[in-house]
Amino acid sequence: MNPRIILVTGANGGLGQAIARAFLGESPDNFIWLGVRARREQAIELEQAHKDRCACVDLDVTQPAAWAAAVERIAKRHPRLDVLVNNAGTHEDGLLATMPAEAWERVRSTNLDGVFHGCQAVLRTMIGQRHGRIINVSSLSALLAPPGQTNYAAAKAGVVALTQSLAKEVARMGITVNAVCPGYIETEALAGMDAERRKAACAQVPMRRFGRPEEVAAAIRFLACAEAGYITGSLLKVDGGIF
Amino acid sequence: MEATPDLKKQIKALMVENLMLQINANDIGDEQPLFGPGSLGLDSVDALQLAVALDKNYRLKIQDPGVAREIFQNVTTIATAVARNQRAAG
Repeated sequence: MNPRIILVTGANGGLGQAIARAFLGESPDNFIWLGVRARREQAIELEQAHKDRCACVDLDVTQPAAWAAAVERIAKRHPRLDVLVNNAGTHEDGLLATMPAEAWERVRSTNLDGVFHGCQAVLRTMIGQRHGRIINVSSLSALLAPPGQTNYAAAKAGVVALTQSLAKEVARMGITVNAVCPGYIETEALAGMDAERRKAACAQVPMRRFGRPEEVAAAIRFLACAEAGYITGSLLKVDGGIF
Repeated sequence: MEATPDLKKQIKALMVENLMLQINANDIGDEQPLFGPGSLGLDSVDALQLAVALDKNYRLKIQDPGVAREIFQNVTTIATAVARNQRAAG
């Protein structure tokens, strides 16, 4: 397998860490850029453990200027960028009737605008090299639209639509754009859930267990691999069978 | 560099290769419109690819849509823009 240059956003979180590790494990020649914002202790640990194979890069995904700076820094070290995983995300659940407009704005800004800015920042590089893989992390919430998540579900549904539309725009340039829709995954998002809610959530899952970050990472790694070259505009649910 | 026949030939070859046009580069007329009736039949995605290819090969940066419309009229207007840009760069 050819060595690849991969940028993963939200690389300090549980899912971002799993994605980075999946690509590290894929080939000893892969280089992973860990896009991080304020919290970065896990990413730094990973960087220290794999000094020649990954590096942190400052990246507030909501800021176009931050994307430009990150892509410039990557370009100085690597002549290409093969894979972008738009993983950075956040949620602030609450009923719409009482949701502060700022909570709507923040969630949309990180989850949807961040994907837009990211795709825009890397496209010229990928078009120039006539190859690229973009994988956007959406959510099962985009498809099920659960109550209490109007902001999150709308943003993640926007990611789905963006993915499918962009896939058509760049298909002829050798660039694929796909999305994964994780269900309940054992990450920080679930850690804050009390035991009763966890039990109720687990009961919704036909497999009767929550997913592991590594299982989502494996789906992302597949969509980024050479053999997935004819898959674009697709949504891959990783949710233990919920529907 | 001027908008010479050789430069126009290079640009036609670049278009055929990058836009995967199913025609021979020699069959593209210098003044043949790129878009619209009687044209090569390019679309906005082709324009994006062409802009990236011109940047990569000739360091011609086209950011403004209005300027892009002027430059992307035909091979001659593209070659003129490339030549002008190279003169300006010294």
